[in-house]
Amino acid sequence: MLKIENLNAGVEETKILNGINLTVKPGEVHAIMGPNGSGKSTLSSVIAGSDDYEVTSGSVSFYGDDLLSLDPDERAHKGVFLSFQYPVEIPGISVSNFIKAAITEKRKKIGLKPISAKELLSKMREKMALLNIKPGYLSRNMNEGFSGGEKKRNEIFQMAMLEPKLSILDETDSGLDIDALKTVAAGVNKLKNEENATIIITHYQRLLDYIIPDFVHVLHNGRIIKSGGKELAKELELNGYDWITKEADKKWGC
Amino acid sequence: MGLLEGIKKYSQENPAINTQNKEAFSMFLELGFPTKNDEEWKYTSLKKIISKEYKIENKGEKINENEITESSLGLGEKIIFLNGELLRNPEISGVTVTKKTNNNPKYHDAITALNAAYAKNGYNIVVKKNTQITEPLEILFLTKNASNNFIQYNNSILLQENSSIKILENIKNLTQNLCFTNTKTEIKINNGGVLELNKIQDYSDSQFLIDNTNIVQDSKSCSTINTMLLGGAFTRNNLSFIQNGAHCESNMNGITVLNNNEFGDHHTYIDHKNEKCESNEMYKGVYAGKSNGVFNGKIMVRPDAQKINAFQANNNLLLSDDCSINSKPQLEIYADDVKCSHGCTIGQLDEKALFYMRTRGISEKDARQILTFAFVAEALEKITVPSLYEKSKALIEAKLNVSLSI
Repeated sequence: MLKIENLNAGVEETKILNGINLTVKPGEVHAIMGPNGSGKSTLSSVIAGSDDYEVTSGSVSFYGDDLLSLDPDERAHKGVFLSFQYPVEIPGISVSNFIKAAITEKRKKIGLKPISAKELLSKMREKMALLNIKPGYLSRNMNEGFSGGEKKRNEIFQMAMLEPKLSILDETDSGLDIDALKTVAAGVNKLKNEENATIIITHYQRLLDYIIPDFVHVLHNGRIIKSGGKELAKELELNGYDWITKEADKKWGC
Repeated sequence: MGLLEGIKKYSQENPAINTQNKEAFSMFLELGFPTKNDEEWKYTSLKKIISKEYKIENKGEKINENEITESSLGLGEKIIFLNGELLRNPEISGVTVTKKTNNNPKYHDAITALNAAYAKNGYNIVVKKNTQITEPLEILFLTKNASNNFIQYNNSILLQENSSIKILENIKNLTQNLCFTNTKTEIKINNGGVLELNKIQDYSDSQFLIDNTNIVQDSKSCSTINTMLLGGAFTRNNLSFIQNGAHCESNMNGITVLNNNEFGDHHTYIDHKNEKCESNEMYKGVYAGKSNGVFNGKIMVRPDAQKINAFQANNNLLLSDDCSINSKPQLEIYADDVKCSHGCTIGQLDEKALFYMRTRGISEKDARQILTFAFVAEALEKITVPSLYEKSKALIEAKLNVSLSI
């Protein structure tokens, strides 16, 4: 599904990603962990198509398409979704109108006929129930005045509505109390199937107690320095990142 | 022949009728049309407009019912003016609508003095005590003229004790000939009166307007003026509120969406003279192309106006490199126990929000239009007549080329 090869990216003179290699297949859950400043959020922004970063070399392909040559909206139409670490407040546009605009455009671009208002509303209600979202939410302005937990839940709600093939959850656990974390994780698990894949980007192991990854990768100085199974996350939680980053620094000479 | 010469010639043929008109006219002649040297007109030039030739108060052509229907926003009862003449006035229980006579007019500058001297047309609305008019009243000023026309209206609205009404003002020029309208409306709201006045200014390039609206409020009265400025080569709105009584509320909301070479200017003034009053002012501006805007909002808080709450915001979006807005808040506060806030912003669309929307599959073009509409939507919510809200929304959506209904 997703194939990242030797990806190098940065901002102006500063290099942030130094040769990322990652392959994700349908049905898989990958966790990318790493200390602050290791390049986690840069990686997710580059995959989603932010022009804050410049890709200097390498490739990202998605079902064979060159993802880097596509606009962010085209990537979304192909099935890429990013759950933002800091979802943006958009005053003046309601959640329902926002979702409608996104779904209408996606359906148009992939050649599906428009969804009726009734159909859309019943789908929204269904997904709201899945995520324990209270009624009245649809008419609120997008993320405006939302608590940290509500914003993250809104991200997962959009993911549920848009049904992406690849979801990247960027620090979805930050700012969540334990109940909100459980609800969000349960939502993500319910949306999981054999066709789609998830990349969880996180600093802590906490979320991975609820969403069990198939693979865990450690990111440091813009490189994946270690990959393993779900037990790697437990090890990091116990021993911190130091033991593994020091070893890597010796190897790469930083 | 420019407008000033035209007016002088007209005055020789039509001498002012009474002493007040004469005095007003000599004040106008003494001051002349304001120029950029005048602080209140620093960013607003009348030069191009007054250099054109106009027929003064010219009688125009006939109009048919279709043209009226097409120009109307289709709301309830209508007062219709054609080329300055009152064409139709409705009979509404509890309201008297008559043609205004220009006796003892008030004026304070060259423009209002000119209006005081020669405005022969206008409406006079009186809403009787304890009367609540639920059906909105539409006032349609139509011009259909074979030549450029300079036309003046002098209107008045009186809300007697505890009465309420919702009014919509709509000016339409049905030809390509220029129409320069100088209108003045004096509004008095007695104790407990509630007024909502909506101005829909989706003008064509052949319509120029100077609108003077002055509101005087007694105790526990409430006024809301919503101004939708959505086009026109030149529009200047002078809007003032005087709060004479205590516990008054004055609200003004504006949406300006301009493009090409359009120009729009909002000058507002709120005079807090009494205690425990409120004023809320929210003006949103969107400028594209080579359009230009001006906002000047003055808040005066007199020594007796304790415990008042005055809020003012002017937020602007500039969508091109060639458009501009001059925004100036002015506060004069002479009372100590008051809450006043004001803020003015000028900016572009939020790039973070644009990216966020695009990651959801919304194209850049659509995202820009949706965000622009969302920016003005807050001020639009203040219109309480549902059909008018829908109509205004549709006009703004059309101007921004966006469709957002679910």
